[in-house]
Amino acid sequence: MTVDLILFLILALVAVATAAGMLFSRNAVYSALFLVLNFASIAVFYLLLGAPFIAMAQITVYAGAIMVLFLFVIMLLGAEQLAPIKVLPWQRPLAIGLAAVLVAETAYLLILRAKPAADIIPPAETVNTLGELQRLGMALFNQYLLPFEVTSILLLVAMVGAIVLTKREKGERE
Amino acid sequence: MNPTTFAAILPEVLLLVLGILILVVEPFWKEKDRRNTGWLTFGGLLAILVVSLLAGRPGEPTSVFGGTIRFDWLGFFFKMLFIFAAAMTSLFMMDVEKLGRRGESYLLLLASTLGMNLMASASDLVMLYLAIETTSIPLYVLSGFIVDDEKSTESGFKYLLFGAMTSAVMLYGFSLLFGFTGTTNLYEIAAAVAGAQVSTVTALGVIALVLVGIGFKVSLVPFHFWAPDTYEGAPTPVAGFLSTASKAAGFAVLVRLFFIAFAKNGLAPDWTTGLAALATLTMTLGNLVAMTQTNIKRLLAYSSIAHAGYVMIGVVAFSNLGVTSVVFYLIAYILTNLAAFGIVAVFSRVAGSDKISDYAGLSRRSPWLAMAMLVAFLSLAGMPPFGGFVAKVFVFAAAVKSDLVWLAVVGVINSILGVYYYLTVLKVVYLYRMEGEAEESHPIPLTRPYGIALVVLSLGVLLIGTLFAPWFSASGAAALNLF
Repeated sequence: MTVDLILFLILALVAVATAAGMLFSRNAVYSALFLVLNFASIAVFYLLLGAPFIAMAQITVYAGAIMVLFLFVIMLLGAEQLAPIKVLPWQRPLAIGLAAVLVAETAYLLILRAKPAADIIPPAETVNTLGELQRLGMALFNQYLLPFEVTSILLLVAMVGAIVLTKREKGERE
Repeated sequence: MNPTTFAAILPEVLLLVLGILILVVEPFWKEKDRRNTGWLTFGGLLAILVVSLLAGRPGEPTSVFGGTIRFDWLGFFFKMLFIFAAAMTSLFMMDVEKLGRRGESYLLLLASTLGMNLMASASDLVMLYLAIETTSIPLYVLSGFIVDDEKSTESGFKYLLFGAMTSAVMLYGFSLLFGFTGTTNLYEIAAAVAGAQVSTVTALGVIALVLVGIGFKVSLVPFHFWAPDTYEGAPTPVAGFLSTASKAAGFAVLVRLFFIAFAKNGLAPDWTTGLAALATLTMTLGNLVAMTQTNIKRLLAYSSIAHAGYVMIGVVAFSNLGVTSVVFYLIAYILTNLAAFGIVAVFSRVAGSDKISDYAGLSRRSPWLAMAMLVAFLSLAGMPPFGGFVAKVFVFAAAVKSDLVWLAVVGVINSILGVYYYLTVLKVVYLYRMEGEAEESHPIPLTRPYGIALVVLSLGVLLIGTLFAPWFSASGAAALNLF
């Protein structure tokens, strides 16, 4: 249990640090690489939660396929370096204020209301361990068959939409 | 697959078939015939409407597809409304430049309708979230469809940013809901919430998070900021679809979520006070800001925000009559507002302007169009004998019956505010003249699709306002599924 906790704390630090690094780095390639690291640490979270399949999916799909695509696009567009942006004068105080609220809220939840966390009911059954991949498939294609199919429609439509928005019709000016 | 299971998703399956048919057929048509895609969509949607009414009617409420879909009258009724609204919108789209001759635009319309249908019948958080995204993503694209028009691009982008943000917040609410109850099924959540040890503050927080996403869809204040800009820039028929079907879909989700999952029994918190406050804010702000608008699409946007407030009165009433009045209001509102946006589309196509002052002399330029506008705007204002009047009466009656007299009074005061700006527009249409020009030499021709749609919608508004009993009993049958 304590090993889990220590691992979690270290990973949480890594995850938060890489997320912050992604936001703050001025070079888009660095941002993308930080994001890869962030995805990887989240994949280990899934491992800790006993969901190796989702961890692997996270690595292959997010850290692998999608981020490679991201990097390609960034490099092809030559958009590595962000132009200096004008900072809005009220933005910084507002951000500090909101961050303080968030910290206060977290502290309140962690310190004063730590007990109700036990109220969180785990799902009735764990379907997502690697040995039970079969059950994951069964859940996906039985109970969640319709959402699964609707996802495919959604992806098709999103693709059509992306083509519509980027492709110029014949005869239109560039 | 047994027949009930299939019947439950019959309209969705047919919509998908129609969409794919359009995608396949359209490239084979010559450039000049592409407008026919609109007729194909319209005809197809009518056929779907008829087939669903004949073969897809629900019996006793049942849960199908592992509990992800609820097959009942409430969902069915909304589905038919969405398909009807999509059919009318496809007619309005046909003669819009750079939109009506593209098969993709109709495919996106159909996909969005499919998403709405699923929203109305989803009874599982996973399904619900997917349905909301399936509705929204095509609408983002449709709003920004006219790529070389900056306003349209801005409209689509604003809608996308707001939509993505609110849907993230809502998803956070869903995940907490799952965390506290251990299930994603709305009906099981209801049971879990009733017997759970979740504190009131936490529960209200979860409800608030979920409400952000739905509030965005139905443009409740303070989640309404996108509406005026999006409606103004989006192609007019798309704006009409956004303000009617998309909003009604939001309400379909709202009533199912709040009456089933967050029902006010046992330990579930009382959310009506908060929603009553939101309804008041929404109505008042929508109406007050609408008064100062000079662009007709922005005026209609703020008016549609105000109407979301009126519908909320029915939700807050939390009774059978309340839901009945919500459904009835949405029927009348969909017909009326589709007509209003259709008229704006016709006018801006010819006149190239959405300014209210440019509507001067419309009654002489095109008496029939002005007549349709009279019907639509008087119905929006809530004047008898049009649909909008009866709808408002039912909503206010529901509030009074649930001891919310103050809310009904707020609603009535707001309707009076509304009458002012609707009549101001009609004054420009009927009493003002075009400066120094003979109106007769600037006619506004109505193409056939516009003519058909406007006649159907105007007659519908009149029909609902006079023969409202069958519609009311149908709404009642739908509402009964929640109690």
